[in-house]
Amino acid sequence: MTHHRHSQQSAPLIEIRDVHKSFGPVTVLRGVSLSVRDGGVVCIIGPSGSGKSTILRCINGLMSIDRGTIRVGPFAVETLKSDKALVPLRHQVAMVFQQYNLFPHRTVLQNLTMAPVQVLGENPAAVRERALALLAKVRLTGKQDAYPGELSGGQQQRVAIARALAMQPKVILFDEVTAALDPEMVSEVLNVIRDLAREGMTCVLVTHEMRFAQEVADEVFFTDRGVIVEHGPPGTLFQNPTDPRLKAFLEKVL
Amino acid sequence: MTLDFSWLFDPLYQTWLLRGVGTTILLSLLGMVLMFVIGIAGAALLHLKVRFLQSPVTIFVELFRNTPPLVQLFFLYFMLSEIGLTLTDPVTGGRIPLFTGFTCVVLSLGLYNGAIAVEIIRSGLLAVPAQTVEGARSLGYSRLQTFRHVELPIGLRMSIPPMTSNIVSLIKTSSQAVLVAVADIMYGATQIMLETFRNLEVMLLIWIIYLVIASIAVLVVRRIAAAFRIPGYGS
Repeated sequence: MTHHRHSQQSAPLIEIRDVHKSFGPVTVLRGVSLSVRDGGVVCIIGPSGSGKSTILRCINGLMSIDRGTIRVGPFAVETLKSDKALVPLRHQVAMVFQQYNLFPHRTVLQNLTMAPVQVLGENPAAVRERALALLAKVRLTGKQDAYPGELSGGQQQRVAIARALAMQPKVILFDEVTAALDPEMVSEVLNVIRDLAREGMTCVLVTHEMRFAQEVADEVFFTDRGVIVEHGPPGTLFQNPTDPRLKAFLEKVL
Repeated sequence: MTLDFSWLFDPLYQTWLLRGVGTTILLSLLGMVLMFVIGIAGAALLHLKVRFLQSPVTIFVELFRNTPPLVQLFFLYFMLSEIGLTLTDPVTGGRIPLFTGFTCVVLSLGLYNGAIAVEIIRSGLLAVPAQTVEGARSLGYSRLQTFRHVELPIGLRMSIPPMTSNIVSLIKTSSQAVLVAVADIMYGATQIMLETFRNLEVMLLIWIIYLVIASIAVLVVRRIAAAFRIPGYGS
């Protein structure tokens, strides 16, 4: 069986408790709690504006929280304030975005090698070798000297996944990574994520791909208006939803 | 009306013109260096919201962008010579003023066009997509590292078209040097006019010389822009 089935009993790698977050007068999170175990694959689903992406951005400290605690491995994220203090966290928690967020002025290979060399201070030759292997893994061998703007959306998103992997993280956060892609490119990106999940990489996905969530997730969280309304294994959550809001949501998207 | 260009064959006038062109180019190049230093430093301080320095930079920009460069040059020239800083010439032992007309022109060009450059580079930095910055932050880049490795390289590329106009403006503004007795091309032209009274012909030539210098500058900037073009990005 896969690695993440073995580690089912271990302590959670990510533990979020009672997180609140407002942007000025707009309250986005009203007491969110969830945990992800090492090697776990968790999907967060829910209507637009329900706070899904905000949860991800709080996990890696891109956004600060107003109340609650976030623990990722040894880090108490809400206590990390300076850029320097956040580096070890961001080393372990990588993120892939809806709009790829690549560096347009650098080649594909440089996109992968920049942060490990410039932020983590790793040996450039070793990083380069690792980056080339990662490009092969996401099936982009031969594209190392291209610029992001010369690639298709699906290719760019695979570069972004490889860039995240180049940091050798423990967790990857995926923020609606297929939402900006043409339909025929969705599967090439999902295939890469599926491989990672099978290899035991801890993944937290915000997604609208319900069938994919059903297939890869060990646990699915449904958010609405800043709270987690219901969660559970995908079989239960999708087949026997109990909350009326989840029922209504699933009727619309399935 | 007949045009008489016979004065052009006078070796003395040729020397004045060539030296003048050299001085104009040197003034412009030094002014550009100062302009870029001021422009990048000022834009960085504003963009990174450096406490206590944002307001001074904003005041500097408004002060130098919104007043005539000629007033600035005269102000610098008279103020700095009033302060009277001097250097001791190591060979002759004589006192020479630190702020010569030449220095004042370079300073004036750097400050005036530098103030405009601050705003040009700042707008280039603002054009860098927030997503690109967020990508860098998620990889552990600090605010300063993000600026240096991501925002500045992209922002400077975005600021090339308006910066080209600023560079041309700087070259043209350098013609003020004549008013503080620096022997630039305008100075040479003025001297030749005083001796020959061929005002129209001399000005025609000067017009063409400025056109050539500015056009070469534009071509050079285009070459640089092409070398740093981001494939598949923007247009």
